[in-house]
Amino acid sequence: MNKFNELLTNHISHWNMVWFGLIFWGSIFNALALNFGFDKNPSFFYIIGFLFGLLAKLRGTWLWKT
Amino acid sequence: MENIDVSDEFTFDKEKEIARSFSKRFQWEMLVIGVGQALIWLSLWPLVIYDYISLLLASSIAIICACFAYLPSHEAQHGNFSRGNPKRRWIDSFVSHFTLITIMFPHDLMRCTHMKHHAYTNNPEKDPDYDTASAKSLWEVIVRTQEGTTKYQRVAEVYKDDPAFMKSFNKGMLVGMLYRSVLLVLVVIFPLETLFLWWLPSKIGVIYLSTFFSWYPHYQTDIGRYKDTRFWSHWMPRFFNHSMQLHFIHHLHPGIGHYDEPKAIEALKPFLIARKVPGAEDIPERVKFNPLIKL
Repeated sequence: MNKFNELLTNHISHWNMVWFGLIFWGSIFNALALNFGFDKNPSFFYIIGFLFGLLAKLRGTWLWKT
Repeated sequence: MENIDVSDEFTFDKEKEIARSFSKRFQWEMLVIGVGQALIWLSLWPLVIYDYISLLLASSIAIICACFAYLPSHEAQHGNFSRGNPKRRWIDSFVSHFTLITIMFPHDLMRCTHMKHHAYTNNPEKDPDYDTASAKSLWEVIVRTQEGTTKYQRVAEVYKDDPAFMKSFNKGMLVGMLYRSVLLVLVVIFPLETLFLWWLPSKIGVIYLSTFFSWYPHYQTDIGRYKDTRFWSHWMPRFFNHSMQLHFIHHLHPGIGHYDEPKAIEALKPFLIARKVPGAEDIPERVKFNPLIKL
């Protein structure tokens, strides 16, 4: 159980931005697109969310660096 | 404590005695604000989902709730509800956990880092709030507050050998992870509601909090009990910034309840001037209504 917790914590600390981008921003982009009448496959918006998160992970921040 | 030459009239013991007289009252206003704002915020969800009010209106209310969310927890972190009575400690815990839901902050994480902020105010290595307190502009405050978990990983590294701190810290991180999970579930079911009722208000609330609780009071101040927080004035009426112009009295005597701070400052003003607290000469004789507006 401890090993599992350690692996999970480790994974989250490294990949949390990517998961957040995929799920959170993917859902938001998809909902906004539906709201504005874009009739695209939802997976397209989730991929954008994923890339958004991946970019944040690589940069180390969602916003500007100080 | 600094060795400033003060007359016998203004000794620390006398200062403490006066401060103690303002550190007894149960902070019922904070209980009402904390529990009240969280209940209002929770009620926004069904009201929006069942179309009783618009998302825009609800989002504006949620932002106000988020700005009110931290201070009740702050009182609880200092035990200002229980006042040392173990039987009342549950009130501290309940109010703090409940009020912080709006801004997705875990109580235990806030409490342990805030205690370190008091112990090491303005210390670049050890003060968890140094990132925002040392910002050179409001823009820098905004950018730094959005750093998220990276900041806390850094703080944990500094205090990794402090078992009591790490116990609270890890407990707080678990609650933080729970918040994150709930947010990610909600966003799939109610995407725009989650964005405008929780995510965005919490971000604005945290910026508000960092600006008025952390940046302004400690802006360009030094290290030391009477030097690390200042008295300041602002164009904004003090009720809109939670009277954080008076935050220095909280750093000197954290047991003074928030709504008792104006009276405490009036009583302690000569002590503060004698101790050379930054800006103490500008403290008005009577701290009532809005005497702290700089026009």
